[in-house]
Amino acid sequence: MEKLYDVAIIGGGVIGSAVARELSRYQLKICVLEKELDVCNGASGRNTGLLHSGILSGDHKLRTECCLEGNAEFDQVAEELDVPFRRSGKLIVGFGEEEKLCLEKLYEHGLQCKVPGIRMIGADEIKKIEPNADGETAIYVPSAGILCPYTYAIALAENAAQNGVHYHFDQEVTGIEKGADGNYKISTVKSHWTARWVINCAGLFAYRISSMLGFGTYIPQRVKGEYEILDKKAGKFLSIPIYPAPSENGDCDIHITPTVDGNVLVGPTLKEIGDEIDYSATQEKIDEMMIQGARLFPKHVKREYFIRNYTGIFPYVVDPVTMQRVDFQIQSDPHISHAVNLVGISTPGLTSALPIARRVVVKVLEQEDLLPNPAFNPIRKGIIRFADQTDEEKARLIGEDPDYGEIYCRCECVTKAEIKQAVHNILGVSTVSGIKYRTRATMGRCQGGYCETRLTSMIEQELHRDAKDILLNQNGAYMFVGKVK
Amino acid sequence: MNSRTFTCIICPNGCEIQVSYEGDKIHEINGNKCKKGLQYVEQELTDPRRTIASSVRIKGAELPLCSVRLTKPIPKKDIFSVMEKINQADLTAPVHIGDVVIKNVCGLDSDVIVTKDMERLQ
Amino acid sequence: MNRRDVVIIGGGPAGLAAAAALKKAGIHDILIVEREKQLGGILRQCIHDGFGLTRFGETLSGPEYSQRFINEVKDLQIESITNATVIDLSNDKVVTIDTTEGLLKIQARAVILTMGCRERTRGALAIPGTRPAGIYNAGVAQSYMNLYNKMVGKNIVIMGSGDIGLIMARRLTLEGAHVSAVFEILPYPSGLPRNIEQCLNDYNIPLYLSHSVIDIKGDPRIESVVAAQVDEKQKIIPGTEKEFPCDTLILSVGLIPENELSLSAGVSLDGRTKGAIVDENFQTDVPGIFAAGNVLHVHDLVDFVSLEAEKLAEGVSRYLKEGSLPEADIPVETGSNIGHVIPQKISGTRDIQMSLRVRRPVKKCRLVISQGSHTIKSIPMPKAIPAEMIQLQLKADSFISKEPVEVRIDE
Repeated sequence: MEKLYDVAIIGGGVIGSAVARELSRYQLKICVLEKELDVCNGASGRNTGLLHSGILSGDHKLRTECCLEGNAEFDQVAEELDVPFRRSGKLIVGFGEEEKLCLEKLYEHGLQCKVPGIRMIGADEIKKIEPNADGETAIYVPSAGILCPYTYAIALAENAAQNGVHYHFDQEVTGIEKGADGNYKISTVKSHWTARWVINCAGLFAYRISSMLGFGTYIPQRVKGEYEILDKKAGKFLSIPIYPAPSENGDCDIHITPTVDGNVLVGPTLKEIGDEIDYSATQEKIDEMMIQGARLFPKHVKREYFIRNYTGIFPYVVDPVTMQRVDFQIQSDPHISHAVNLVGISTPGLTSALPIARRVVVKVLEQEDLLPNPAFNPIRKGIIRFADQTDEEKARLIGEDPDYGEIYCRCECVTKAEIKQAVHNILGVSTVSGIKYRTRATMGRCQGGYCETRLTSMIEQELHRDAKDILLNQNGAYMFVGKVK
Repeated sequence: MNSRTFTCIICPNGCEIQVSYEGDKIHEINGNKCKKGLQYVEQELTDPRRTIASSVRIKGAELPLCSVRLTKPIPKKDIFSVMEKINQADLTAPVHIGDVVIKNVCGLDSDVIVTKDMERLQ
Repeated sequence: MNRRDVVIIGGGPAGLAAAAALKKAGIHDILIVEREKQLGGILRQCIHDGFGLTRFGETLSGPEYSQRFINEVKDLQIESITNATVIDLSNDKVVTIDTTEGLLKIQARAVILTMGCRERTRGALAIPGTRPAGIYNAGVAQSYMNLYNKMVGKNIVIMGSGDIGLIMARRLTLEGAHVSAVFEILPYPSGLPRNIEQCLNDYNIPLYLSHSVIDIKGDPRIESVVAAQVDEKQKIIPGTEKEFPCDTLILSVGLIPENELSLSAGVSLDGRTKGAIVDENFQTDVPGIFAAGNVLHVHDLVDFVSLEAEKLAEGVSRYLKEGSLPEADIPVETGSNIGHVIPQKISGTRDIQMSLRVRRPVKKCRLVISQGSHTIKSIPMPKAIPAEMIQLQLKADSFISKEPVEVRIDE
């Protein structure tokens, strides 16, 4: 299956999809080669879902610049792409003198970076902003916000796909060569692709693609973060993310974050894992989250509110010489024409995705004139959430499509109509978790006890799949071994 | 003389029954709340039997399987031969509770019967 | 807005029994709302036998048991809607129902909560390890295997010895899978003794008491679990860890009454049962809202669910005829070794049925009901185990004052 694309983007996470979307503003044949079976299976779907303010980006200039830019524009982005978002603000709280000094230093840094509206506040004002938070001193960061990270990745990808970008899943890149014709020949585990341009957006694996392309060598110094998701019953008591004072290297350990859907996230715990990929949860970290969580959000970090845990991996890399974590790298090189290399894109990658993408476009324009795509449409509509509608609107929806009159997922109140739309998503994702990320089905407190059988039947029927070919989230994650009879 | 403790499975009480016996002759029995317990132990000592339930493929109904069970207990050792017969059976909707799927399965004097009303899907 | 005397939320064994009993008590304007396409509730997937011995004097499979009630409801011409999910219940008893015909809003005079329960999940337990495919709650596996013809795995390990887990150990074995172990964190089984016997012992499936799954390995599909022995405080005993290869982990680690609608109506819950706080009429603290069956407290036998719902119908019909029920101002308190008790409060003006469970197993004990220094009843018991619900009847004239009633086990 060889086909000449103008641009092949390696990696379809939030960065790759933002790049795809921004490049689809031009007349280009673009493909995204994604290793997984969906766009949010890596770091893009496994993070805190925070719209960062820039205050925590340390002395990395590009990281801070992209973050500030992405933060400022996000109301409009959320509107265009129909991404659940709330500018909640954020509290970074401290206990005792030492943490107070640390916060004061951070506050000064925030002022220098021009993080808008930040203020040092005391215990009284902390309680005024969030009565259920605890702390003696805090930095109040009004520009921070919360968004749904996997919905954002999906929204960018869907908008790109609407504008003509092709997504190819299960395409782990195994090699890249530049042919005599100047085109890149990209081999994947499944196929071969040809493209004039290659953009490396491979996230956790970007350092590998970087080497394949001939850009610099970087050493992965990944950080593993475990999270717990708490019931919406806890969510009622939290309106704003609460961060602890950062450690020496600037990392903020376990924090408490409300989600746009009304749950609460506890985490991430932080552990350096070098070049490993390890998504497992550990008893030690679960216990740590209970203790640290209770310090910031007393009374509501309870076992009975646990719904599920997940683990994310921050794709940090270090420079092989200095062994220091590198800033965002958006590289092009005259000796490596028609390639843009993104490395070190870790947190706040979500906030910075579109600013990064625009800088990639600039790199492309430096080497090639592009014609605007007159058909480009920046607006993407998500699946209408029945649960969020008024009764009048619900009645209208059922009148239009009786499938809205069947609740499939009762915890999150997701209807058959929404599930059906998700099964037929524009990217062609067909996993059970693909439906989950697009509808919230199985995300409630019964964790699919009621609806999972319906989801798998829907995949079976609508996509004419054999039961044993239904996958939870990735290759090999088969749900069934066959039929009973 | 042997002694053994049985958990009676006849009813939810699940009586713990202590028995001393020789061969199939019971000398002493304690712990059973009713005489069914004695019958159960006698049966267990001589010829342990169970009823089983499973399901059978069905065509034309809303679901692909129809539940079935045995009308009488069968010897424990024959359970898996009966399962093989059940696995081979096919039904077509409509079916109703009590419909016989396999008469006298494996010659054990027990029938496999339908335990769920399943109508034909229009 | 439509008006109804009674809306019953959930057409499983509790809802059906309540409906039939109400109709027989002379209440005619009843609507059963069921979210599945058929009535019958969870029993549709409980294809094993052993139901009905108490209620019908014979042993039936789940679908047969529920069909008896479905037939009765049909014969009594009680109205029901299926494939219809209640999405909201207000404090003043407005029921909002999502149906393919539209969004129905019904003002009920009385609402009966019979939504049943759900299973505790892996996430709620926070079991460490990977998050592979192949981890199923026992009830979900049961639904896949008995209704949808989907086989969940071949090499099975089961965590928790709840009844559904035991039943599934046998089901999986009969359908060709190999069940290599059942782990129970407690020093005694959670399920009924007869199920240990006929589901595990009959098929030589080992039950590991005081054992817990402490790690899950494998990705993308589960490959093994690590289990370890625990002490009496449920702390892992170092050195006892052992790895068990499997392609499937089935969880049977408890049931939780499904009370999200109850909460939206402002009904107060009991932290022990996770169900509503009710009086002897099964009325919650919201007048006119009643609850019975597994939504109230998790039962061991469906027969008791039906009987409880029939009992509830007496209270509901009295409420409808008289406009209110006597105030229940005598608290019923749990004393030593009592896990929970229903009802949690009584009026002391009528005979009551009490349901309770002990916290830990005991042999040769007395179940004592008292009010202050006065002993109402003291019943000798050869044994009492948490897996079995205990029920007893108390006469109205047993209650001599407005002092709290205490229920306890004396050893």
